[in-house]
This record gives sequence, C-alpha cells and structure tokens, in this order.
Amino acid sequence: MRMNRDKMHAFLTIGVICGILLAFTVADFLNEDRLYSEKEKRVLAAKPELSKEALLDGSFMEDYEAYVTDQFVARDKWIGMKTSVELAMQKQEINGVYLCDDDYFIEKHEEADFAPELVEEKLALLEPLVEQWDAKVMLVPTADNIMKNRLPDYAEYFDQSAFLETVAERVGEDNYIDVYSTLLEHRDEELYYRTDHHWNSLGAYYGYKAWEEAMGYQELNYNPDSMKTVSEDFLGTLYSKVNIEVKPDTIKYFPSTDILPKTVIYDMSVRKDSYYEAKHLDTMNQYGFFLDDNHPFIEIDTGISNGKTLFLIKDSYANCMVPLMAPQYEKIYVIDLRYMNGQLFPFMESYEPEEGMDVLVLYNCVHFLEEFKYW
Amino acid sequence: MVFSSVLFLFRFLPIFMMLYFLAPGRVKNLVLLIGSLIFYAWGEPVYVVLMLFSTVSDYIHGILIGPRRGTKAGKALLVSSVVINLLMLGFFKYADFLIQTINSIGGWDIPLLELGLPIGISFYTFQTMSYTIDVYRGEAKVQKNILDFAVFVTLFPQLIAGPIVKYRQVQDELYNRKFNICNISYGAKRFVLGLAKKVLLANNMGLIWTTVKGYDYGEMSMFTAWIGIAAYALQIYFDFAGYSDMAIGLGAVMGFSFPENFNYPYISKSVTEFWRRWHMTLSSWFKEYVYIPLGGNRKGLPRQILNIFIVWMLTGIWHGAGWNFVFWGLWFAAFLIIEKIFLKKWLSKLPGIVGHAYCLVVVLASWVLFELESVTAVGGYLSSMFGMGSGYLWDNRALYLCRENFVLLIIGILAATPIFAKPVKRLRESKAGYAMALYSLGEKVIPAVLLILSIAYVVEASYNPFLYFRF
Repeated sequence: MRMNRDKMHAFLTIGVICGILLAFTVADFLNEDRLYSEKEKRVLAAKPELSKEALLDGSFMEDYEAYVTDQFVARDKWIGMKTSVELAMQKQEINGVYLCDDDYFIEKHEEADFAPELVEEKLALLEPLVEQWDAKVMLVPTADNIMKNRLPDYAEYFDQSAFLETVAERVGEDNYIDVYSTLLEHRDEELYYRTDHHWNSLGAYYGYKAWEEAMGYQELNYNPDSMKTVSEDFLGTLYSKVNIEVKPDTIKYFPSTDILPKTVIYDMSVRKDSYYEAKHLDTMNQYGFFLDDNHPFIEIDTGISNGKTLFLIKDSYANCMVPLMAPQYEKIYVIDLRYMNGQLFPFMESYEPEEGMDVLVLYNCVHFLEEFKYW
Repeated sequence: MVFSSVLFLFRFLPIFMMLYFLAPGRVKNLVLLIGSLIFYAWGEPVYVVLMLFSTVSDYIHGILIGPRRGTKAGKALLVSSVVINLLMLGFFKYADFLIQTINSIGGWDIPLLELGLPIGISFYTFQTMSYTIDVYRGEAKVQKNILDFAVFVTLFPQLIAGPIVKYRQVQDELYNRKFNICNISYGAKRFVLGLAKKVLLANNMGLIWTTVKGYDYGEMSMFTAWIGIAAYALQIYFDFAGYSDMAIGLGAVMGFSFPENFNYPYISKSVTEFWRRWHMTLSSWFKEYVYIPLGGNRKGLPRQILNIFIVWMLTGIWHGAGWNFVFWGLWFAAFLIIEKIFLKKWLSKLPGIVGHAYCLVVVLASWVLFELESVTAVGGYLSSMFGMGSGYLWDNRALYLCRENFVLLIIGILAATPIFAKPVKRLRESKAGYAMALYSLGEKVIPAVLLILSIAYVVEASYNPFLYFRF
C-alpha cells in the first residue's frame, strides 16, 4: 500500500513541477513578440540574426538570451509579482526608487555616483559660458532633497546643497540663481510629481518666481489656484520602475500662458502655435505635454515685442517652466545638448542678435551632473 | 548556459528532457552527450573543442593505462594524462597570473595572453584526472566506450559549477541507469529548491553585498561591514549550494546519483568541521589525490603540517588565479593547523557557542580575502569589520541596510541551518495519516510556489551573476 501511495504522490509532484514548466513553455511559444514595453518604458530585445561570426564570438547567444527573457510570456505580470514579493518583505526601495510617505515615489541618488572629479568637470564646462556669455545658472534640486522628510528612515540621498554652494561660488553670486531655498520654503506643498522624476507645474512656478526675482524682471501674475488640470491619470517614469498600483498624478498647467499668439518651431521644421501638445496625454509619457517632449532645438516667437532674446540650455525640467518665462522675451531659443553634435559657441553666435542675448543654463542637479556636455 | 535563465528553463530543459525520456535505452546517452555539448557550446562556442580534446585524451590514456597497471609504462602514461590536464588548466587559467607575477618581481613587461578562462575547466579536468588516476590504482574500470566516457566528462548538470564527480562514483550509472519515479520526483523537487536558493536568496544577498562593497571602507561603520560580508557569505553559499542542488536534482531525474556538496557549513563549530561541510567534493578530491599521496598524517606532525599547507595553497589557487586566493587558502591552512595542534581540544571543552562564533569570524574574514582582490581593499574592509573604519559601531547606512533587508536576512540565516530540513524529514518519515497528508500536500505546494516565485525573479533578472567564472 505504502509503496503505491508513494508512487502516486511522486507522480503528482512531478506533474506539478513539470506542469508549471511546460505550461509556460507552451504559452511562451504561442506568445507574440512585442516591440516596446509600455510598462517598463523601453524597447524590448528582438530576435537576433544568425551569422557565423555572431555564433563564434558568442554574441548571438547573448542576444538570443536577452530576446527570450524580454519576450517571455506575461513578462509584465512576472515583474509585478516580483515587486509584490519585495513589498511583502517590507522593502521600501525598489529598482532605485524609494517608496515614501503620502504615496510618493522618489528616485534614489547616491553621493558616491557624483565624484568630485565629475563635479569639477561639469563646473569647468560652466565657466566659459559664464565668462563669454554671462550665462545665468539655475540648477534645480531633485525631490529627495526637498522632500527628505518623506524618505524612508535612514535612507541615503545625494545632498545637493553643498554642490550648489560650490556652483554659486564658481559662477559668482550674480550669475547663480538660487531655486533650492525657494523650493525648500514650500516643501510641504506638492512640488514634484508623485510618480515621475520631474517637478510639476507648481514646482516650476516657484522656480519661475525665483528666476524672475533674481533677474529683476517685472512680476507676472500667475496664480497657482487657476491652474487647469489636463490629466488625472498620469503614471510617470518612477511608476514604470516600481510598477506598484498607486493613485495617478494630475498634470496641470497655467492656461494664461496659452493666450498670446505665438510660434513654436521644433527642430527648424515643425511649426506650432502652443507650448502644449495634448496628444501626449494619451500615451504613457504624459509629461511630453510640455513643449512636445524632448526636442534638440526649439525656436519660440513669444508674441511679445520687447526686442529681448533668451538662449536656453536645458534638460526636461525646463519644459514646463519655459511657458512661464516666455512673456519676458520676444524670442527664445531652446537647446537640448544631448542631441547637439557640433560646437556650441559658434551655434549660439549664429543666433545672437546684434543687441545681444541672455543665456540661461537650466537643469536639475542630477541631469546636469550626468548629462551636461558640449564641445 | 546557466540554469537560472529563461532560456534554460523554458527552452533547453523541456526540449532536452522530452528527447531524453523518449530515447530508448542506449540512445539516451547520445541525447545526453549532444545536449551537454549544446549546453556548453552555448556559452563557450570555441572552447568546447578543448573539452572534447580533454575527453579524447583521457579516454585513450585510460585504455592504455588499464592493462599496464603497476608497471613503469602505466605510471608514465598516468603522468602523461595528469600533465596534459594540468598543462591545459595551467595555460588557460594561470598563464597570465604567472606572467603578472614574473613581471612584478623582475620588473619586466611581458605581454599578457588575455585568454578567456574556459568555463568549468577546473571542474572537468579534475573529473577526468580522477578517472585516469583511479584506473591506474585499479579503483575504476577502463571505459572502452567513448560515448559513455564523453557523457561522463560533458554531463551538463555538474559541468560548470560542480559537484566534482569522481568517475568511479558514476561508472555503473553511465551505461545502466534505473528509472524510478520516486527518484525523478526527488530530483525535480531538489532542482526547484536549488533554483530558489540561487535566484531568491543568493541574488538578493548579492545586492546587499554589491551595495556595501561600493562604500568607502574608511568611512564604514562596524555594523555595516559585518552585514555586508555576512550577506556575501550567504550569497556564495546559496549560489554554490543552489547550483549543486540543481545539478544533483537534474542528475537524479536522469538516473544519476551525484555526491552531496554542502552540508550546512555555517553551523560548524570549527574550521576543520567547516571544510567537512563546505564544497565537500572538492576537499575530498584534494584529500584523496593530493593529501594522502603526500603522506597525509602518517609521516609525523611536521610533515602533516607541510602537507596541509600544500593542499590548502592548491585549494586556494583552484578558486582563481590570484594571490588573494592563495592567501585565502593559507588562511584556512593556518587555522586547520592550529586546531590540529591544540585549539580543537580547547574548543571541545568550551560551550558550543564559542566554537560557532570563532568559526564564523574566521570564515567571514576569509570571504573578505576571497572577494576583494587588492591588499588595500582587504585591509580597509577588515579594519572596518574590527572597528577601525569610521570608528562608529553603526550609522544610518547600517540601520537602513537592516531595515530594508531584515526579512531577507532572517530567512537567509534560517535557511542556512537545518531548521527547516529537520521537521520536513520528520514529516516525511511519519506513518500517521495527518502528518503524511501534510507532507504529501507540502511536497507539491512548496515547490510550486518556489518555482513560480523563482520564475518571476528569473524573468526580471536585473542581477543574476555567475560567480564561478574564475574557478
């Protein structure tokens, strides 16, 4: 009796284990390949081409492994399961993102990733801009700095205050625009998206105020209470990294920035009459609503005639602040250095009007340290 | 190919197993050989030739040695087999290490060869050497069938990370394997358990260690250093023992019984005991083919001490071509000798906890040597472990590591002891209805859950290292 019973259970056990492996093998064979993962916000690996060289140097095998892993059946569900396990194990950090109080996701940055040599290299790049163009420098701290009180207990973050002090010293007080203190004063308000690494329109509004004041410009009457909501289902880049169900963000903007007749020319070809592109609100990348996502070069005729020109060197943080700044200038050139191949200064000279132009470097601290580069 | 991958679990394994079980009798070995070669060539498309060369070489040596046992010619042939294996190993694994050492001593600038180390070479050369040596000693039969011999050398389950199987341990199973449903079920469960150890425990422990390893050791608190190295100790244990479990499990499914490789090493009360529980097939290989032939403990204490030094230097360097591995081996040799002379007697009179604590400190410190290669890094890390880093007992980093990982660490520490295995054994052997039913249910539900969770971690494998690329 015992023998037969043992055999039956052995058979069942094999059935369970092989059943799981076989079921997913079959399901995976039937599963169709995807080009892009909306959830992970990345292009998935495609089937590699077979060649003798790729076989011998092993690159075919590597690519093929990446391909079957990326295209595995129900990949998104597996990732979700992994996250659930981590949450059950009481983790408050997933994939480099802190899960914070008040449903906030905050990206983790470590001091060690920003070595003094790197800081020095980037500061050295700022100097010619300040000396030759009298550029103003405005570096926005990331959410971990402004909302450190919401981080998990004992969590490490890259404290940007010391770095910003160095920047202020190097470019000089007159050329440094302090947005850190302003944001810190308002830290109890929601200045950043909860699910995305960008600041939101309210954060950009305070950023604008700091800039306006530092530049001594005429005060424009933007009222945060009159912001208009364009989306209530925004799940940003940090959501994609952690993949946990969470209350979506709302995207708001200042409708008064959309009144004046203006021209926005993207990459010297596409002509628009608004700073906002609603088509992005139907995609995962809803932040693209501001200035039509990232473009290498944008020319803006703001509809104001005051003869002033601004040349803005920026990252994506600037996208939602540019509309607020626009009425202070007649013409704004916006460049994203990541896409710039030629030399920067001759390019700037070619756009400089006779009466000269203002230059502003506007980045968040982390993007600045990671991406600021020109020839 | 590694076991913990989508490719292995959902391509190689199902297709291979289907063909293997469909193949009649002797054809199974052909399927196994072709499968193993594909498995190996997937990761080493060129060096697979080297493995085939080693197979043919020792196959011929075996046939020649067999009838010449005990003769001078037989001995010469054995020396030839061992020399060829060691030359292969030496050339591909140690040439650059030797050149670097010579360069740094003589101040020369001999260019490095920069050959990639063929995966698993240290495992399969040791396995084939066990064959020719045992044939010479008359402990193993000569294998006349090259297919069966090639199956032994290339057997994919233990090819790349052990256990090191001696030829005589499987010589009968190479041509005559009995298929028993209970063994297959045991093998399947064992494989899942190993997979879970690797992807659920080892990889996640590895993430803790990678974090700590990246810190500045001069500013590290004592607690951080201990958490870091403990996480590494658990990573390498679960990774290695997990691979062994997977190998033993796959072997059992296919009708082989491979030797055990790990037996809860971290519960040891002395270093001597630790090495009876850690990578058992390697220590038994060295014991049988090096330590005992050198005279073992039969030629007086001074000679025994020398023998221990030789064996542990070799054990050290087997793990990688670097001075840190030599010192890692010698570090253990020193404690083994001290224990032999007096410490073991002392420890046996003290409460068990003293032995546990002593052994863990020696082993954890050894991992620093094993894992960090430069003298400055090793010195820096050891200093922080013993309170000379930041000078603080703990800091925010230590508290954060604990808060973030306490569940994982607790599970890991418990899983490194027999605490789960004991009640499971009791349930398995029980005859009573209730306990039997519980076991029958558990043996299906637990592997199913572990397998599903492991798949999730394999699919989203942002961190899935192969630790044995230097072995």
